[in-house]
Amino acid sequence: MVNVIHIVNQFFAGLGGEDKAGIAVGVAEGATGAARGLQMALGEQGKVVGTVYYGDNYFHEHREEAKAQILKEVGSRKPDVVVAGPAFNSGRYGVSCVEISNCVAEGLGISCVTAMHEENPGVGFYRECRNLKVFLLPTRETAAGMNEALGAIARFTLRLGSGEEIGPAQEEGYIPRGIRRLERSDRPGVERAIEMLLKRLRNEPFATEVPIQAWDQVVPAAPLSPGKKANVAVITTSGVVPWGNPDRFKTYRNTFWRKYNIAEVKALEAGKWEAVHGGYNVNFMNQNPHYGMPLDALRSLEAEGEFRLYHSYYVVPGNQGSPSVMMRIGQEIAADLKKEQIDGVLLVAT
Amino acid sequence: MPVAIISAMYPVAEQVGASRIVKAVSIPHPCGDPGLPSEIDARVRREIVETALKAIHSEVKQPTLFYPNITVSA
Repeated sequence: MVNVIHIVNQFFAGLGGEDKAGIAVGVAEGATGAARGLQMALGEQGKVVGTVYYGDNYFHEHREEAKAQILKEVGSRKPDVVVAGPAFNSGRYGVSCVEISNCVAEGLGISCVTAMHEENPGVGFYRECRNLKVFLLPTRETAAGMNEALGAIARFTLRLGSGEEIGPAQEEGYIPRGIRRLERSDRPGVERAIEMLLKRLRNEPFATEVPIQAWDQVVPAAPLSPGKKANVAVITTSGVVPWGNPDRFKTYRNTFWRKYNIAEVKALEAGKWEAVHGGYNVNFMNQNPHYGMPLDALRSLEAEGEFRLYHSYYVVPGNQGSPSVMMRIGQEIAADLKKEQIDGVLLVAT
Repeated sequence: MPVAIISAMYPVAEQVGASRIVKAVSIPHPCGDPGLPSEIDARVRREIVETALKAIHSEVKQPTLFYPNITVSA
């Protein structure tokens, strides 16, 4: 029997959505919420001995405290394997799943299985951590893929729990961690390299033995010079738009951006602006849109002669934005900023 | 063109290689704290914006975190 602790956010523990995202770390004995599904997938070979949960915002705002509490709860129950997620394409949840898995594996030496969509920002952390005891399984983008994901997690968990050796990522289906292990080959390296080179010259497909992750390197831009009065623009991913959402932004997966004129506006009044975003609790932002577009502070600093604020601000609600679409949106906004001769940008991200 | 990203999820900004990062208050309210009296909340917001302006005026070589001084007293 493999004993498992399942770690989930408040939503998948069945405690509530964004209004509950601030709840602290807690534990339910046995399986609750999504952990019931995991228990079903594990069948009789595994047992969820406890479900540890935390609010999505709580974790990110109290990360050290949250991790220490989770370590204590997991450690005292001595599971064979820890499961975190699946997080699908939820960014906060995905990042916390990877951080928790890494900290459990390091602190307690327990193997961890987590799962999420390949474009979740948690995947980047996972690749950086390169922990031999942490395995990240790819899932579909949304919770529609829950059963499939829990099935894959359960199979992996039972294998890990029974001490089975896990092979390389390409064979086992987890996302590669960039860990290289020595392997015996029946042909020397020079033969394999020349064969690869010839295939490349003939434009035939070939598989490298040393895959390298290509990262988008950004060289920091030069700072603004102190003497000159700069033109400053604001971009926000908070989804703050004029009341009524005139351009019909969706609460998730937007594919376009807009800018809204604020030349004559001194402050953003509640009731005239609203936040369109499905990834956080928008109540605070609706009561005071300055939390996402700090126009009041900008106007008072502008009056002191620090800079000139551009006549419009840019917005795209960032929730569940896929990196490829967001890259295109970023390029379009950058082109517009250049055309408008903006010198520097403040980007508010929720 | 220098950009300062104001975010409560600053480790994500660091991980993806953003150059100038300003630590925000919280995910649902980056620029301010609704738990504070409105006057102090506005002061926190001003401090965050000032920190971001300072960031785009600062030379950086790698992802750099800027901390607003938000231990305000009434």
